[in-house]
Amino acid sequence: MAKKLTKDIIDLIHDPATTTVLATLDGNGFPEAVVTDTIRVDEHGNLLYLELLESSGTNRNLVRSIWFNGRVAVAVGGKAGERWQIKGRPVKTHITGDLFLQHYQEVREQRGDVELAAVWVIEPDEVADERFETRKSEEERAHPSFRHLDRLARTA
Amino acid sequence: MSVAVKWRIREELSLDEVVEKYPRFPRLIAVKIDVQRRGVHYTERSLGAVDEKVHQMRSPYLFGSRDGAIKPLPESLLLRDGTTILTDPTPQGQDPYLVDLVDGKFALTDGGKLIEFIDLWPKPKYYDKKTSSGIPMSHVASARPQRLNIFQSSYCHFWAEDRGCRFCDIVTHTKQQKDEVGVPTRLRPEDVSETVREALKEPGRFTNICLTAGSVLKGEELFDREVDFYIETLQAIGENFATKKFPSQLIGSAYNERQLARLYEQTGLTSYTSDLEVLDQRAFDLVCPGKSKWVGYHGWKERLVWAVDIFGRGNVGTGLVAGTELAQLSAFASEDNALAATLAEAEDLAEKGVTTVYIVWVPRPGSYFRDQQNASLEYYVQLAQGLHDLRAKYGLGVDFDDYRRCGNHPDSDLSRLL
Repeated sequence: MAKKLTKDIIDLIHDPATTTVLATLDGNGFPEAVVTDTIRVDEHGNLLYLELLESSGTNRNLVRSIWFNGRVAVAVGGKAGERWQIKGRPVKTHITGDLFLQHYQEVREQRGDVELAAVWVIEPDEVADERFETRKSEEERAHPSFRHLDRLARTA
Repeated sequence: MSVAVKWRIREELSLDEVVEKYPRFPRLIAVKIDVQRRGVHYTERSLGAVDEKVHQMRSPYLFGSRDGAIKPLPESLLLRDGTTILTDPTPQGQDPYLVDLVDGKFALTDGGKLIEFIDLWPKPKYYDKKTSSGIPMSHVASARPQRLNIFQSSYCHFWAEDRGCRFCDIVTHTKQQKDEVGVPTRLRPEDVSETVREALKEPGRFTNICLTAGSVLKGEELFDREVDFYIETLQAIGENFATKKFPSQLIGSAYNERQLARLYEQTGLTSYTSDLEVLDQRAFDLVCPGKSKWVGYHGWKERLVWAVDIFGRGNVGTGLVAGTELAQLSAFASEDNALAATLAEAEDLAEKGVTTVYIVWVPRPGSYFRDQQNASLEYYVQLAQGLHDLRAKYGLGVDFDDYRRCGNHPDSDLSRLL
């Protein structure tokens, strides 16, 4: 079930100061995570990942995901402490056509003499607020046993 | 000129059954294979949504199609994973997949069931232009999603003695294209150079240039004239590049070491392919009587191995027209035997640095094998997996002939995982 990204998350992803990490699985099920600044959000609310290297492990893993219905995760960290995790499925890859050509020109204008291998479309199906404060209050509400006793001890 | 072939007269697994039986094989590649096996028919509804300003329409090609006609239809299809399907327009009576509109989008359907949403190939900008000599550039270089095809000449000398490859319709189709569309049977290097120059003005559009043509037996030594033609054309193309070498593929006859060295040293060519078509001596003699007479099966293999010394491992390949080894009057009666024999020979070549790819055989009305049926989907799936596994085992790349640089080989589509 596709999840909609809020405007706040979209703005955060598009903020150059934001750090994004794309995590995929290789053929042995081992995780592979890369910091990337080539994730965008399209007008449908899907993530676009611009892959600059045809032979990268991430690209291979994305191919495997689209072939065998695998999922990927994107972690997003903002300069004001925002933390989001978006999980989703690669649903399409553009290796030609208008969208591809537009991004090909864009990355070359921004970075100089680089390639563009593919524009991956990732449909979000899970969006989680991963800020520590949020996760801490969720855990304390759902798992009251998960705490050390000294934290509950009466203070003199 | 269409031939009514009865489909599904054999007991064979359906697409869904094959996908279930081979869970490690990508369904999308199985779809591609099956669409190529059975061909496509465009519904009126889908044709109504085709925009000739945006979509690439069928352009001159070396080979004909299963319907034997030259019609203004979309060139071909792309799947959502970036996989190319070179499609063959096929009469409805032969049970093709349908290209239809579903929810306003182009889709492949079969028996009323949605198989996949698809994209039509986008038209490159140069398709609307002509060379200085007045030839439509689409007649000089035909485009794939990321490749330029140059068919510099479309006559094959093997046909002169009725020794053309039995699956091939190059000469009958050439005559049809010349008569109906006015496609030149021989390209001038100047026109090729000018067309490539125009194509390069569209950034991001192309990653490879492929040249191929019919075999030319003339010359001081066999194929000398053919090599001369290629060198002349490649040098003209090379004028457009700042580097000596440019990503390119030549699919030609089996050249000797001197000819191979000339090609490599005098042009920007980076890879060489020479198609054995079938990997078995007896099948080769039956399916390719011209190649058999002039070079021979083992001679052809030997020349491929020589090419590895010149072009390097991973830059030399041979292509199969898979399924013809099972054609009537051919070498194998059972798919199991054909598969085992083919993979054994492919392994012998892989050990020596030659990579093997296949295309799905399409029995075309202009060919000797016109009224036959190709192999089962299961056979093609096993063959694709087998060839891919050999590349993995021997560390053989196939960058020059993969899903993007070519797009017509289900086995090299799998190399996206290597």
